[in-house]
Amino acid sequence: MKRGNRKNTVHDVLKRAGRNVKLSMCVMGLGQMLYGQIGKGLCYFAVLVMAVIYFVHRGFKDLAGLFTLGTQEADTWLGIEGDNSVVMLLMGILSAIAVLFLVYCYLSNIKDAYETQKLCERGGRPMGFREELKQFLDRKFYKTVLLLPILGVCVFNILPIVFMILIAFTNYGGSTVPPKLVDWVGIDNFVQVATLSQFAPTFIRILGWNLMWALISTAVNYFAGLGLALLLNKDCVKGKAFWRAFPMLAYAVPGFITLLGFKFMFSYGGPVNQIITGMGHRAVGFLDIDAKWMARIIGFTINAWISVPSIMLLATGILSNRDASQMESAKIDGASAFQQFRHITLPFVLFSTTPVLISQFIGNFNNFGIFFFLRGGLYIDGYFLASDTDLLINWLYNLSINNNYYNVGATISLVIFIITSLISLLIYTNSTSYREEDTFR
Amino acid sequence: MKKIGSMILAGILIVGMMSGCGGTGTEQSAPETVDGDAKEIGADAAELKGIYSGELERGVTIRVLENDTAISEGYFQELIDAFNEKYAEYGIVAVDANMDQYSNLADDGPYGYGPDVLYQANDVLMKYVEGKHIYPIPAQSMSCYDMIPQAAWDAYRADVDGTEYIMGVPVNIQSSMLFYRKDMLPDNWETEWDKNGNQIPDMAESWNDMYRYSKEIVDRGEGKFGYMRSLYDVYFSSGFLFSYGGYVFGDNNTDATDIGFAAGDAAVGANVILQQAELMNEDCIDDSVTVSAYSKLADGTYFATMTTPDVTSLFLRELTNVYEKEGLSAEEAEKKAEENLVVTQVPKLPASGDLTEENPELIPLKTMGGVNGYAISAYTKAPNACLAFVEFATDYEMVMKRHEYLGIVPARSDAAQAAGGISEIIYRNLDQGDIVIMPSIREIEQVWTPAQTFFQDLAKDAFRTTDKKYTSIDLIKEGLESVDQQIYDAIHTLAGGQ
Repeated sequence: MKRGNRKNTVHDVLKRAGRNVKLSMCVMGLGQMLYGQIGKGLCYFAVLVMAVIYFVHRGFKDLAGLFTLGTQEADTWLGIEGDNSVVMLLMGILSAIAVLFLVYCYLSNIKDAYETQKLCERGGRPMGFREELKQFLDRKFYKTVLLLPILGVCVFNILPIVFMILIAFTNYGGSTVPPKLVDWVGIDNFVQVATLSQFAPTFIRILGWNLMWALISTAVNYFAGLGLALLLNKDCVKGKAFWRAFPMLAYAVPGFITLLGFKFMFSYGGPVNQIITGMGHRAVGFLDIDAKWMARIIGFTINAWISVPSIMLLATGILSNRDASQMESAKIDGASAFQQFRHITLPFVLFSTTPVLISQFIGNFNNFGIFFFLRGGLYIDGYFLASDTDLLINWLYNLSINNNYYNVGATISLVIFIITSLISLLIYTNSTSYREEDTFR
Repeated sequence: MKKIGSMILAGILIVGMMSGCGGTGTEQSAPETVDGDAKEIGADAAELKGIYSGELERGVTIRVLENDTAISEGYFQELIDAFNEKYAEYGIVAVDANMDQYSNLADDGPYGYGPDVLYQANDVLMKYVEGKHIYPIPAQSMSCYDMIPQAAWDAYRADVDGTEYIMGVPVNIQSSMLFYRKDMLPDNWETEWDKNGNQIPDMAESWNDMYRYSKEIVDRGEGKFGYMRSLYDVYFSSGFLFSYGGYVFGDNNTDATDIGFAAGDAAVGANVILQQAELMNEDCIDDSVTVSAYSKLADGTYFATMTTPDVTSLFLRELTNVYEKEGLSAEEAEKKAEENLVVTQVPKLPASGDLTEENPELIPLKTMGGVNGYAISAYTKAPNACLAFVEFATDYEMVMKRHEYLGIVPARSDAAQAAGGISEIIYRNLDQGDIVIMPSIREIEQVWTPAQTFFQDLAKDAFRTTDKKYTSIDLIKEGLESVDQQIYDAIHTLAGGQ
């Protein structure tokens, strides 16, 4: 490896740093300016100035607020504005992100100055500001295009996730909501979830059903979608375009409308029961309090109704890339239709769709709507504030939104997050998509 | 300057009071006040001087969160137009807050997004008290104070830091009424079904007679029913428990550690529901009856149901349609519908809880009710202007307009008296304590699902062929105790660390 490509270690930098690099260590951008890179130096300096203004103006206060979560309770009647713990938590996270950003800029400033020093030592000429900017449209173009998405991810994904994780370590919920002050409680919520006598049995029951639901519904949707795609791929099927468009109607209707429609269909006064009673039989409680397995099966079916079309479309696209000669050879070699499916089609489709399969699994694991709309508003004996069709996400809703325990909700969210992440990682790292990435290239 | 402003405001309030007195129409003499000897409740204007200076803020805009129906029916526009005209000289303008009627002030208010004035049910408004999200009202100094019964004010009474406050101004009382078809009464009802000869059919006066008549209808085997109702609905079913000693929370619905669905002989009341379910079909288990009651009462499948009076127009519309299909003109159909749809107070219950008992001792059915009213956001920049708006919206004239537009039951005695009919009945029931106002504490939110599950289970039991769960009063009581426990768990178990 060439010496020039070796990564700079902290030790190297500290040992070999020249005057300009040391100045950059003291004041961001100063070293660059002394190397004649005025524009870049000013940018670094501007970051420093803005950081100082931000931290003096509110950053330090926000950072301190992250630890205290407020000291003065608000009282609107007395005109005391007080502290809003939740806002303080949020602003505290933002200030922590600002600190990290500043540290990143600071290190980047030192690294840049050190690289320039090395360049000068090799007899090179430091790049001008314009040249440097041009790089962002050329060699460093990836940085330009990634800037906005990264910012978006930070604000809309990372910030809420960090916020939710931190809520799990507070007492935010119940009667402790702003204007009352929220406090840090360490791992008390996790201890409570694990040790509360009513809680653990419900958690285990719901988790078991949730895993079963996610596995079965993913498999049903996947194979039904694939089956439909294979069927509509057959030469003998007439009017393929029409039949392919038909399931899309189910997909196009908003999910909750479909669910409310099915709820009505299976209610006591709905059309299904009207047919049954019209035939002289007693009405069936498809979704009522006693309908545990009946309601679960209806849930599987309706979920398939909603999800199968998307899988069918996906599989149709993938099947169009199938190697026809391979299928022809297999047929000549005497492979049965099932053998062709088992050994050629399935591995081919599975290879391409494993990531989709994982996202389907996660989506089904966290499928809030199905049982919320079909059978919400029931607490069944033996379950703590839940029913026998509730998934963890529904239970989470009951606890956090219906019952206001945001902290317990966040704790369970974290547990769900860990479970789904582990399962996803396990499936993905063991899949051919991951292990044999080049197979179908 | 402040003194002058205060005098102007005082003058306006006096004029408002006088207009409230004088605007009752030609047939109305000076309005009668209620509870003449009732003690004054809540902090008075002097105690709330820190909030309401008495000086109207000038050039302010008040965002008012109103009920969706009031907006769609045009009442709200009329209200704000009248208010804006009256307060134009102060530059005060009331506008539609343009928010979801169920938006949460506690979430929006602190960040400046909430409304300044809110119109909602007492249980919704009172959940804002704990965080002081709404301001107390100087009720005693308002013109409507003496016109509204104590029970309605009680729905807005709160103890904060050891002082009692009134947090909202009652406008409208909600409760259950019996709806039945007069033309479906037996031909001989005046001789056979009017024991006391008061020209009111017995089935509208006693649940035992309603049960007997429902059985008669069902036994005809024509697929028709007598009394029908979705029994899972806590709002309508819990009254049967209250009538026999049950309650939601102890200490006048303020103590959330004492949950009383199983208290007293509430199980006897639950057994009444079970007996009623036996004469219904499975539609009573879920919301099927609620959804289809309008059309099925109109087409004669149901004889009677129980619901709130604000949906009377929907029943009338359906019944009119049926009559029109039968060949009557629109005008005749409407007239006939109004004649045949009777909305009256709910029947009385047997003290024994046995619907088959002949000549039982009767007790009143206590129904769950609510009091909708106005409250003022604690995040408003113009509390005095908001108070003036509330004063304006709760005066006699506007409340009567609200009644005309929306068919509400006024909380004001003078308006209820002038409105007559259902309004008078509900007003009287509230005054007599036969309407149990929904608790005004935050914990009420945790009551609905456990109670709803129980009522659904109870209704389902009537149709279980094997493994019936509620075969005795003791077993029903156990079920109710389990409801109490679930509610307790929902409120307190996870609050351990709070």
